[in-house]
Amino acid sequence: MRGSRAWVDGLTVLIAIAVILLVPQLLELYSVINATIYVSMAVLALSLALVWGFGGILCFGQAAFFGLGGYTYAIAAINFGDSNLPVLFAVALPACFAALLGYFVFWGRLNDVYLGVITLTVALILFKFFNATAGDAYKIGKAALGGFNGIPATPPLNLPWDKSVQLAPEQIWYVAATLLLLLYYVSRCLLSTHFGQVVVSIRENERRAELLGYDTRRYKLLIFTVGGAMAGVSGVLFANCVFVSPTMFSLSYNAQIIIWVMIGGLGTLSGPILGSVLLQMLTAELGTLQWLDPNFVLGAILVVFVLLIPRGLQPLIAALGERTFSGLAALGFRRRKWIKP
Amino acid sequence: MRFGGVEVLRGIDFTVRRRELRCVIGPNGAGKSTLFKCLTGQLTPSAGNILFKGEPIVGLPSFDIAQRGVGIKTQVPSLFDGLTVRQNVWLAARRLLDEAAALATTHSLMERVGIDMIAEAAVGRLAHGQRQLVELAMVVAADPDLILLDEPAAGMTKDEVGRLAELVRELSGEHSIIVVEHDMQFIGMIATTVTVLHQGQILMEDEVGRVMTDPRVRSVYLGKLKVG
Repeated sequence: MRGSRAWVDGLTVLIAIAVILLVPQLLELYSVINATIYVSMAVLALSLALVWGFGGILCFGQAAFFGLGGYTYAIAAINFGDSNLPVLFAVALPACFAALLGYFVFWGRLNDVYLGVITLTVALILFKFFNATAGDAYKIGKAALGGFNGIPATPPLNLPWDKSVQLAPEQIWYVAATLLLLLYYVSRCLLSTHFGQVVVSIRENERRAELLGYDTRRYKLLIFTVGGAMAGVSGVLFANCVFVSPTMFSLSYNAQIIIWVMIGGLGTLSGPILGSVLLQMLTAELGTLQWLDPNFVLGAILVVFVLLIPRGLQPLIAALGERTFSGLAALGFRRRKWIKP
Repeated sequence: MRFGGVEVLRGIDFTVRRRELRCVIGPNGAGKSTLFKCLTGQLTPSAGNILFKGEPIVGLPSFDIAQRGVGIKTQVPSLFDGLTVRQNVWLAARRLLDEAAALATTHSLMERVGIDMIAEAAVGRLAHGQRQLVELAMVVAADPDLILLDEPAAGMTKDEVGRLAELVRELSGEHSIIVVEHDMQFIGMIATTVTVLHQGQILMEDEVGRVMTDPRVRSVYLGKLKVG
C-alpha cells in the first residue's frame, strides 16, 4: 500500500513538473496569464483546505488575508521599487493579522458558525474600507489606494539578486506554479508531524484533545496563522497577474473559496486545488456565453455535489483509481496464472 | 454544583489517596458524571474547592488539569472517530513522549488492553465495547496520576467485563483510580472502598461488602429513600 502511494506521489510530481514546463511552451501569452491566475487562486484554496479541511476551522473570510497580501505587496512594491521585501511583508502582514484575529476568536472560545460569521464580517469590513479609499487623502508613501478601482499599476516580481530584472508573465507562471507545488508538499509535511496530527485530532474531537492535555487554542491559532500566510502568498501572485482592488475581499471571493474546497474534497489537499482550477476554467468558459449566467451553473454544480458526491472530487477520483488499479492487478494475476499454470 | 435553581452536587467532601481504587455508585441523576466534569475542568463548581496533589484546580481549563495528571474515560466514549485505533492511542502517548517512545507505548498498550487486532480500524466504526477499550488505552497512554473511569463496563460482554476488571486492578497499582459504575457485579470485582452518591450528596462511604448489604443503599437503588 505504502509502495503504491509512493509510486502515485512520484508520478504526480513528474506530471506537475511537466505541466509547469509545458504551459508557457504550448499556450499563448493570454492563456499563460490566465493559468497563473488559476494557480494563484489554487494557493488560496490550499490555504483554506488546510485551515478548514484539516483544522476544522470554517473561515468564511479567507479572502481577507488574500486581499491583505495583495495590497501589502502592491503598496510596498510601489514604495520600495523592487519586490524582495514587499513579498516578505505581504506574507507576514496577513499572518500577523490572522494571529491577532485568531487570538481573540480562539481564546474567546468562539467556534463553528460564530467563527464563520466573524471572519466573513472582518473580510467585508476590509472590503468596505478599501472601497472608501478613493482620493489623495488615502496614500501610503507613493502608493494611492485608489478606492473602488484599487491599485492598477503593481510592479511585478524581480529577480531577488538583480532588482533591475523584472519577471515576464511566463516567468511569473513558473514562480506561481512552483510555489503551489512547494506549498502543497509543505502542507503535507506539516500535517504528518505531531503538530499536524494534533490539528486533525482537534477537528475530530476538540474536547477529547483537551482532555488529553493539548491546549487546542494554540494549535488552532498556529494553523490559522499558517493559512493566513499562505493566503498572503496567493495575494502576491494574484497582484502579479491582475491588480489589487477591494473585490479581493468581496463576498463572492469568500464564497467561491468555500465552494472550491467543498467540491474538490474537504479534508484533502489536492482536491481543493483541483476544484479551484476546474471551476475557474468553467467560469471563464461560461463567461463567454451571453445566454447563461455562470453563477447559476456554479450553484447547480454545488447542489449536485452536496447531494450526490458530498465527499468531493478527490475522494471520488481516488476511489475510482483504486478500483481500476485493483481490477488491473487482478487481471494481471489471472494472466500470469494462465501463461504459467 | 448548581445549574440555575437545581443543586446537582451538595456538600461533597471526600479524599482519594495515592494509588487508591475508589468506586462511586449511585442511581441515575445522583451527580456522578457531574462530579467527574468538575474534576476535569469541564464544569466549574459554583462553590467549594478541589485539590489535586495539594494544589487547587477549580477554574483551570481542562487541558491544564490533564497536564497536571488527571485523565478521564467519559461515559459515552469520546474519541477521534475519523482516525484509527493506533492513531488515537498514539496521540495520547505522544504529548509526553518522543516519537519512538510513543510508538512503543502505543503498541504495548494496545496489546495490554486487547485492541491490537483492530489497530488499523477507524474508531468511528467500532462497537461500543471496543470504543470503551480504545478510550481506556488512550487515558492510560497519557500516563495520568489520577484516572477517572465513567461507566467503563457499559456495553461490554461478560468476558470483556472480567478482563476489564483485571486490567483496572492492575492499573490501580500504578495510578489512583475513581470508577463510576452501575454494574454492581463489576464493582464487586474491583472495589475496596465505595462512595455512594444520592441526590447530589454522599449517602455513605465504606468497604464494598458493607455498602452492598446496607439497607439505605438498597432502598436508594429501589427508589424508596428520601434524603432531606
